[in-house]
Amino acid sequence: MSVDTREAGPDTNGFFIYGLVPADVEPTGDARGVGDPAAPVSVVVHGDVAALVSDVPLDRPLGRPDDLRAYQTLLDGVTLAAPVLPVRFGTVARDEEAVTDLLADRHDDYRRALDRLEGVAQYVVRLRYVERAVLSEVLAGNAEAADLRDRLQGQPAEALRDVRIRLGEVINAEVEARRAADTEQLLAELSPVAVTAGTRPPTSEFDAAHLVFLVETERRAEFEDGVERIAAEQEQRATVRLIGPQAPYDFVDRLLDRG
Amino acid sequence: MTMAVQEPGGGGVQRGSASDLAEVVGTILDKGVVIDAHVSVGIVGIKLLTIDARIVVASVDTYLRFAEATNRLTLDGSQAGRGLPEVVQGPKGNLLDKAGDALGELVGGGRDDNDRERAPRRQRREDR
Repeated sequence: MSVDTREAGPDTNGFFIYGLVPADVEPTGDARGVGDPAAPVSVVVHGDVAALVSDVPLDRPLGRPDDLRAYQTLLDGVTLAAPVLPVRFGTVARDEEAVTDLLADRHDDYRRALDRLEGVAQYVVRLRYVERAVLSEVLAGNAEAADLRDRLQGQPAEALRDVRIRLGEVINAEVEARRAADTEQLLAELSPVAVTAGTRPPTSEFDAAHLVFLVETERRAEFEDGVERIAAEQEQRATVRLIGPQAPYDFVDRLLDRG
Repeated sequence: MTMAVQEPGGGGVQRGSASDLAEVVGTILDKGVVIDAHVSVGIVGIKLLTIDARIVVASVDTYLRFAEATNRLTLDGSQAGRGLPEVVQGPKGNLLDKAGDALGELVGGGRDDNDRERAPRRQRREDR
């Protein structure tokens, strides 16, 4: 970003803020952010903390798929080298002074959060039931579901709607109970190798667990081994997806707790 | 979009891709530091194209899909495990993926992986 640009048109450009980093972090020259063409990324420093920013025009909407990807790619890339606190996508400051103001406002909170992020990164673990396996499991263990299923045998698709809804309701309750149990079990298995853990809402009716973990760099291999072990145990029953290391998106609120 | 179609019972861990738009939306939406209101005078309102991608898990539609899947499981074993019509375990399967598609359509963006070329490398100064 250049001062000249702002002086030429104070209302036309702003500073898109990606995240907060320790003051000793600086982007390499090839780091790019949102926009088309993608804007170079720079830092605004205040005390011990800094904001990763890039110049954006204010008269164009943000949120193209490429913008979202650029935001995450940048933050995840930083995480591999340094602590970073993501700032909510779409936060744009009018000028450099506004960026400095917001850094100053919670400087000590940000610095403390970044200290806690030293050497850690986030992982997402999502298990999804193999549809046939979980439905068979439910039918084998729930007499009402098996009975309702039998009543629907050979009926046209539109018939017995109430029975269908009841069957679906029973199965849904069974799947939700399994999700709760599997979530508990996975948290218990993986939490010992993580700094902290959390849950996300399911993204599919067949999600078995959707978990997030902060993991120390030194324990990443151990953590990934744990996920591999779970995948082996769950074979035939659920598929396991592991995403990360990435920026600590899900832990920002907790990291900033003043308590 | 590089996520492979899941084979039931395939085993092993699938590693996520940073360019999977549905994952990106699910990961970054509503997350991150929110700037306190009293310092927000310098924060500019800018139009966002993002959409709310959350889903309601339990509904009559959900129940009917479960029932249909169960029925299919019974009627034809060879069909089982292929996935619900709207919740298949594939690249465009879940509702977040659909949200991603809608987002792409809304803004005319593609699902290309060009952003990988821009993956940043960072270094920390040693003079800390």
